[in-house]
Amino acid sequence: MINVDNLKKTYYMGNQSLDALSGVTFEITKGEYVAIMGPSGSGKSTLMNIIGCLDSPTKGTYSLNNKEVSQMSDDELSKIRNTEIGFVFQNFSLLPRSSALENVMLPLQYAGISLSERKTIALDALEKVELLDRKDHKPSELSGGQQQRVAIARALVNNPSILFADEPTGNLDSQTGMKVLDIFKRLNENGQTIILITHENEVASAAKRIIHIKDGNISNDEIH
Amino acid sequence: MLIRESINTAVDAIRSNALRSILTTLAIIIGTAAVITMVSMGSSAQKAIDDSITKLGARTIYVYPGWSRSGSSSDRKRTLDIKDADALEDDREIDWKIAPEIRGSRQVKLNNESVSLEIIGSTANFFDIRGYELDEGTLFSERQDLSRKRVVVLGSSVPKELKTSKKRLLNNEISIAGVSFEVIGFIKSQGSNGWRNPDEQIYTPLYTASDRIFGRDTINSINVDFSTDYRVEEVMIAIERVLRREHDIGPGEENNFRINDWSQAVDLRREATSIFFALIVGIAGISLLVGGIGVMNIMLVSVTERTREIGLRKALGATSKVILTQFMIEAITLCLIGGLIGVVLGTSLYFLIAFLQDWPIVFPFTAIIGSVFFSAIVGLFFGIWPARRAAKLDPAVALRYE
Ligand SMILES: Nc1ncnc2c1ncn2[C@@H]1O[C@H](COP(=O)(O)OP(=O)(O)O)[C@@H](O)[C@H]1O
Ligand SMILES: [Mg+2]
Repeated sequence: MINVDNLKKTYYMGNQSLDALSGVTFEITKGEYVAIMGPSGSGKSTLMNIIGCLDSPTKGTYSLNNKEVSQMSDDELSKIRNTEIGFVFQNFSLLPRSSALENVMLPLQYAGISLSERKTIALDALEKVELLDRKDHKPSELSGGQQQRVAIARALVNNPSILFADEPTGNLDSQTGMKVLDIFKRLNENGQTIILITHENEVASAAKRIIHIKDGNISNDEIH
Repeated sequence: MLIRESINTAVDAIRSNALRSILTTLAIIIGTAAVITMVSMGSSAQKAIDDSITKLGARTIYVYPGWSRSGSSSDRKRTLDIKDADALEDDREIDWKIAPEIRGSRQVKLNNESVSLEIIGSTANFFDIRGYELDEGTLFSERQDLSRKRVVVLGSSVPKELKTSKKRLLNNEISIAGVSFEVIGFIKSQGSNGWRNPDEQIYTPLYTASDRIFGRDTINSINVDFSTDYRVEEVMIAIERVLRREHDIGPGEENNFRINDWSQAVDLRREATSIFFALIVGIAGISLLVGGIGVMNIMLVSVTERTREIGLRKALGATSKVILTQFMIEAITLCLIGGLIGVVLGTSLYFLIAFLQDWPIVFPFTAIIGSVFFSAIVGLFFGIWPARRAAKLDPAVALRYE
């Protein structure tokens, strides 16, 4: 489902250039639970942005579901992000002025689904993360763990083929973090493809496969 | 669908920064309020004028004496006389009513009371032309005029001037410049027009005044009353034709009389109003411009503040068009809110002024629709740049923004 071949990303700042990714190649198939692990600054987020269709590589090819992403128009990319991909970010991933329910409804709105249907689907998604009773709460009225669970509900609301999570436990204490990882595990058991990005060993060990990344290169790709 | 969502989002965003939003739109509020108030006040004034014209159902042109061709300044007042009024009366080209006026102040005496009052001599239809209504007694007739009867009709405050009452005066004699006159009636109180007070005047038949009080047949003015079926210009031309013939004025020579029409005053006022109006529209335009720039500025700030939000929305599948629409609608909503507050303020201010000044109220529909429309246009115009900036943000860069 994900095919990455010799992917390079170079950032240019003035006359300086920085290779955030210097040629990575891997493949991820449907139903996998993969952790991309590496120290801070190793290029994990850069990689996620590219395979999450938020950014384009400087060199190399990336195809998603056998479609070459670099050939896609802006609107096509928006559509892919809306329907094929779900994101959970480390922090500030909810709209602060909107309630939990409104946050979860947002991707459905961009998909052009009617309001009543949106509500039904979003409530269903909130129920799956056990936050139905908090549907009218604003993010500031929710704990960090609850916020991440709302973000997960939102990421899954359009039934994406891949769920991306960039350091989803980074701002949580270990106990709450474990709870979030439990949700991922359960989702994966139900067939959800998950790509988890982290710099922590323990977190990465929740996944079945770990791609180690260092200085923009894959140093190890293990399945356990 | 998308529009409604965007409006909700816009209102939320504006509400979360209510004070900043209001301050931003202050210039728009002021501009809109100014336009509404001024335009409405203009319509009120116009309506008052139109009303007074239609109420009378007729208009009046005044003819005044001018300079005599002999050049002597003492001849000035002698260029109009009763014969001129008769000539106008006899000319039937236009169905007008003619009332010459002969006027002057004289001592009026009753017993030991003596006051100086203005005496007006005119024909029987004078009251009709002026719209003066009879209060008590009778008005004088054409026959009394031709037979130079010593009768007078008094303004409503004259009895008070003479320290007596209407009852005591009616059908009794008063003395004007030493000649005694019978009081035959009173007109209803008219109120001062700010220049002459009809209530303090004494009215007597034209020939009586000419022969028995003033001893002259030159007159002070001629009232020419005509129905609104005629155009002012054609009536003025007819008057000019008759009087030039009457005064033997040759071609190329100037008139020795003046024709005055208060529609000229109305036109002048209209012109002044339109200059005033242009000024207000100019000020409002500048206000809206300033307001628009303010809105643009605040929208740019808002786009920067919400960079992460924009990145997030894009990550969740918002297209550039959706983001563009969202910010455009936010700018337009901001301006519309300013415009609507301005409409409410301007309309209330106008109603208050109209109420205090006792003006006829004209509900300013056009002005309201116009200014709401214009504030939306301002939002549209000044919202484009910030909205495009938001739409063009690269999602990866935006999400990284702290
Ligand atoms: N937009 C950017 N412009 C310049 N440098 C960047 C940009 N994004 C990331 N980098 C740099 O690329 C490297 C990889 O960053 P990132 O992918 O965020 O690492 P990680 O997520 O593993 O911490 C870092 O050195 C970072 O400073
Ligand atoms: Mg990172």
